[in-house]
Amino acid sequence: MDHSEADIALVEKYFDAELNDAELKNFTTRLESDEHFKLLVEQEKALIAAIRFDGAASNLQYLEELETKLQKETPLRISSGSNKWYYYAAAAAVGMTILVTVFMNSFNENPDQLFQAYFTPYPNMFEPTVRSNQSSDSKRAEAFQAYEQGNYQKAATLFTDLLKDNKDAGMLLLLGNSNMMLGNLEEAKANFITLNDDFDDLDMQAKWYLSLCYLKNGEMDKAQALLKELGDTEISYATKAKELLEKVN
Amino acid sequence: MNQDEIIQKIKAGGRTELGLIYEEYREEFLRWVVKEFKCSLDDGKDFYQLTILIFHDNIKQGKLEHLVSSVKTYLFGIGKNIVKENFRKEKRFVPVSKEKWLKETLIDEPSDKIDDAVFERARNALGKLGQPCQRLIELFYYEKKSIPEITLELNYKNPETAKNQKCKCMARLRKLFEQESEQNTFTINHGSL
Repeated sequence: MDHSEADIALVEKYFDAELNDAELKNFTTRLESDEHFKLLVEQEKALIAAIRFDGAASNLQYLEELETKLQKETPLRISSGSNKWYYYAAAAAVGMTILVTVFMNSFNENPDQLFQAYFTPYPNMFEPTVRSNQSSDSKRAEAFQAYEQGNYQKAATLFTDLLKDNKDAGMLLLLGNSNMMLGNLEEAKANFITLNDDFDDLDMQAKWYLSLCYLKNGEMDKAQALLKELGDTEISYATKAKELLEKVN
Repeated sequence: MNQDEIIQKIKAGGRTELGLIYEEYREEFLRWVVKEFKCSLDDGKDFYQLTILIFHDNIKQGKLEHLVSSVKTYLFGIGKNIVKENFRKEKRFVPVSKEKWLKETLIDEPSDKIDDAVFERARNALGKLGQPCQRLIELFYYEKKSIPEITLELNYKNPETAKNQKCKCMARLRKLFEQESEQNTFTINHGSL
């Protein structure tokens, strides 16, 4: 299919982010009204996708080769679990060593180090990312996908936008986590306070992450109060909260 | 080296930096993922390789410029999501299909998926392009290197020459793609006779 040189140049400049405002306006208008032009854009998109895919596949092959080399040089033997008693004995010995190390090190840890040690962004447990989704929910899918891929800036923008129309506790929790990852502690705190105060679900998660925000911010009294509250419960955060509270104290 | 320096080093670097970051967190990640998700060591390695590629890609694409947490926290966060999504999609624990994952994660947008047949034709065309064109456009579109950086890396006379060469390579690629499409149409028509 023939395309004019001018159209090809316009499309190439678009994908190279070199269009000025007038050219961008022209591009958008053409894309909406000209099927022939739209086909050229789709073709260029597929070509760039193929280039990116081949680059990633080639890097994957490099990592696989590196892994084979590393495994030969320094073999790793890790087992996910076994009934044999000696694995338990070894695990207990390692566990004791870790406990002692953690205990000894806890005297030297400052709030920031404790934050680094205890903060892990909450996984996306709320929405499977279905990538062929073409419905009106695609923005929602895009937000969750951005979060899963660690693109926290994009995730935060999309979650903020989506939450204006849909008060969803899961999205608010992930927005708070995105803000934490981006260093927007005040926004993250506000997210978790809202989650705790205005929603019925995910209270414990909100308190746990809020306590970590306080810790990172050096607001030790508030962090301690929340950790104590969590430690007194019987939920999955209790052990972690008690352990962290001891270190904070 | 602090977190932002690591990011800058990966952004400006290539394979060496990719390998270094892979080695740095390998043992810790593998011990964690095998224990946490009760998967085999080989599955853990697949998850780790994808995690590192996503981390690398996020930096190269400018999606990740600053980290408030540690690199380790960031990597473990991505790793956890990969494992959970793989489990959710397959409804049981099966080895991850890495190439499929790369396409779905790094290439497709949820709202704008590229047609599989068109994507295959694009890959075939790219396979016929040859060097140094393939390397040049990979540096530009995948590694996100600037034209001055490519000029230095591929020893072009000046940035203008590199830019011209990049445009010529893309023109050749488009032509190869059209040939692939024509061949495809011919095969379909011929097959239906």
